Amino acid sequence: MSASSAPEWLITTVGAVRDLMIKRLEANSLEPEAKREMEMALEELDVMWEELQGQATLLMRENERYAEFFEYAPDAYLVTDAGGNIREANQAALELLKAPRAEVAGSPLSEYIMSEDRVSFLSCTVALVFGSAVKPHTLALRLQPYEGEPFEAELRVRAIPLKKSGVGGLCWLIRPAA
Amino acid sequence: MAVQLEELQEIWLHLRAHVDQLADERQHYQEFFERSSEAYVLTDAYGTIGEVNGAAVDILQRRKRYLRGKPLAALIALERRAEFRRNMSALLARAPGSQAAWRSIVVAPGERTDVLFTGRVIARSAHIGGICWRLESLT
Repeated sequence: MSASSAPEWLITTVGAVRDLMIKRLEANSLEPEAKREMEMALEELDVMWEELQGQATLLMRENERYAEFFEYAPDAYLVTDAGGNIREANQAALELLKAPRAEVAGSPLSEYIMSEDRVSFLSCTVALVFGSAVKPHTLALRLQPYEGEPFEAELRVRAIPLKKSGVGGLCWLIRPAA
Repeated sequence: MAVQLEELQEIWLHLRAHVDQLADERQHYQEFFERSSEAYVLTDAYGTIGEVNGAAVDILQRRKRYLRGKPLAALIALERRAEFRRNMSALLARAPGSQAAWRSIVVAPGERTDVLFTGRVIARSAHIGGICWRLESLT
């Protein structure tokens, strides 16, 4: 039973139940019918475990590949939640905002928008979050990075389900204006 | 026996939940990749194509099934291929996370497309995990 991608506690518990079943079988204390049932259950457990492990390994590999894509996309991407707080930022976005990840994560995206552009930014966000706009939007705004001078940028935004919760979030593609 | 079966049932449900959570996370990033209006291609460090999104398929003019496993350089016009490989090697020689862009010609049956390739090196725990490419048609 190989178990490289399941949580540790799960591996330990399945192992313990399996050992218990084997001990029962070896003790020869079971009726022939009960013994047969136990052997079948054990076999089934092994098959199911292998199958789920295979699925989990495949999914983890795919997750890793797509997560790497997000992190290393040549474009700056941010994902915000319904409250406008930044949930995810890739490397290109951190470089563009000239900010460390710890500074960006959890902070409102509006903090990086120049005050005169915040109204149009917020009305676009509200329209997307509350579903009155479903198509991707493009905004031309001035961004204020964490360090350095403000710059003109084009922000393209679309709705995206958030990781784990599945609740709607927004995905922002940011490009400095040409 | 009944107690053990109950325990097994519980373990099974936990493992199922673990797999479901992995599937949800995969969907999050996969959707992000697939639904992007930008054209993206993921290759390994040798330039072999792993994933291509819909927008990239439109530029490369080949089916996804055909593209997966092919060297990206094989889609470049013969006379520009050596230059493409040189640029890719130079990019890979730089630090993980580095980015570079250059123009090249993509060939498909009966078609040549002027494309701007922007590649960013994927870092994977102290070694290069591959390259994430953005393709922009300039034709």
